[in-house]
Amino acid sequence: MTTPIATAPARNSLDPRRAGFGRTLAAAIVTLVLLGPIIVVFWLALRPRLYTDITGPTLETFGYIFANTDILLWLKNSAMVSALATIVSVIVAAPAGYVLSRGRGGAVSVYSLFIFVVQSFPVVVFVIPLFIMFAAVGLVDSLGGVAIIYVASSIAVACWMMSAYFDTIPVTLEEAAWIDGCSVFGGFVRIVLRNSLPGVLSTAIYAFLLAWNDYLVALVFLRSDDRFTLPIGLQTFFQQNQTDWGPVMACAVVMLAPPVVIFAFLNRFFSIGGIGGSLAGR
Amino acid sequence: MQATGTLADRQSRRPAEARRRRPDLGRAMTLAGLAMPAIVLMTVVNAYPVVYAGIQALHDGDLLNLGSFVGLANFRDALTDPLFWWSARFTVIFSLCGVFGSWLVGFALALLLKPEFPGKSSFKILLLLPWIVPIVVSSMSWNWLTATPTSLLPVLAQDLGFGRVMFLADPTMAMITVCLFKIRISYPFMMMMMSAALEGIEPNLYEAARVDGANSRQQLRYIVLPMTARSTYIAWILMAMFSVNDFATIYLLTGGGPVDSTTSLIVLAYRSVFQDFRPGYGVAISFLMTGALVTLSIILFRQIRRANIA
Repeated sequence: MTTPIATAPARNSLDPRRAGFGRTLAAAIVTLVLLGPIIVVFWLALRPRLYTDITGPTLETFGYIFANTDILLWLKNSAMVSALATIVSVIVAAPAGYVLSRGRGGAVSVYSLFIFVVQSFPVVVFVIPLFIMFAAVGLVDSLGGVAIIYVASSIAVACWMMSAYFDTIPVTLEEAAWIDGCSVFGGFVRIVLRNSLPGVLSTAIYAFLLAWNDYLVALVFLRSDDRFTLPIGLQTFFQQNQTDWGPVMACAVVMLAPPVVIFAFLNRFFSIGGIGGSLAGR
Repeated sequence: MQATGTLADRQSRRPAEARRRRPDLGRAMTLAGLAMPAIVLMTVVNAYPVVYAGIQALHDGDLLNLGSFVGLANFRDALTDPLFWWSARFTVIFSLCGVFGSWLVGFALALLLKPEFPGKSSFKILLLLPWIVPIVVSSMSWNWLTATPTSLLPVLAQDLGFGRVMFLADPTMAMITVCLFKIRISYPFMMMMMSAALEGIEPNLYEAARVDGANSRQQLRYIVLPMTARSTYIAWILMAMFSVNDFATIYLLTGGGPVDSTTSLIVLAYRSVFQDFRPGYGVAISFLMTGALVTLSIILFRQIRRANIA
């Protein structure tokens, strides 16, 4: 990194050394352009809803939506579904990812291929058979039923993410534990899982985003007003209030806030890069 | 996962460790047990429905009844329907934009954000936002920006002398708008994949290249591209799958219109099932689509393994 060989100070985009304020400016311009549509959402949400003498930004529109729409209910439904889907995804994907990471041989290859093929099918294929299955056991129009589908649709990538993280934990740690009389399962829980907080968080964030942002599954499975999650509630509200953009955008802010806050605090744990190796490694 | 080592690291470490241990029945049983919850879940909620849908594709029933067996009629109907081929064409355009458009933007941003500079980490988070923000919200903001003649962008276009640009009402403009929207919400994924790949490159390599007099374009051509090729291919495969299977992006922005111009295969499948109530037909379309996608992925995977790049 620190080079005493003073060649031309070629500071280009590939230069691993420190860059200056010029780059900050470039990044700021690009960011502003790419985030324009999000800025619009905030701008419209913070505008006064009625023509009052308020000139600056105001939270008035938020007061309006909480008083006049079902947004609190949608928010609660979304939170419950996403929390459930996230927890179950991690519980199922962690051991499965361990097998992908540590297991070898034909069975694991078949397992890996199974995950890959299953994940290639679009949700539209699953929807009708699941609808029929769920209708038979009373899971249509149920938040639990929707959560199960979210787990199923995040599980493949979740397994790859866990497996990619476990790959970074040296097997020698487990081997030491086995020698001390620890079982394979004990080694997984006490050694591997205990050292995998970033991997677990990464997987949890992925599963949460998928559940929180889904539109199609909720559209098909949630039928009654009091089961709507935010995307569906927001969509119906938007259609009824075509011209009244302020409240629509205030609802949009409520919907985008949780993932953004979670990401702002946990982003250093989130990396999707690792799944590449896990996917093509075998 | 910031502790993730470079790909090359793990590739070389993993097989050696695996070979060191002897297979042992108890361990195999434990691993099978650990894999079981995922296998059960995927069999019940993924694999079984796929098989059922396969059977459905051979029947002419409605949403709740299988109907009578019609053989491959649904597939034949799809392959002889001009709308199917139109949608297939649009799916290809949309996915190519999704894959290469977002790759170009994401890779450029990954390069921009590679060195240390003031505010770098804030930009890194901010630039990921379009991927985190729910599509329902993004599509609403784009609607506000483009949908009607009095929206911001049409007015702006008018003022700049481009005339009345109908972003979502004109078939060609609608296609362009949907593709740009897709690039905007997808580039952060590429940025993350490519950033991770760039971190795996030894800084000394650039140093050596610079000493040898390589300019930045040559460094890009002979170091960065080959060293990140593997990640690039994998990112392409994943993004192709995400794009082809992307329903919400198109449906929320245009609903497939105007006059079917932005109808992709998945939107067509959805409409066949839930608006025309022909699940067999809709599922047949999905199968044709998935078949093409899996074939493509397998070819690309073969390519990656054979080339064994980076």
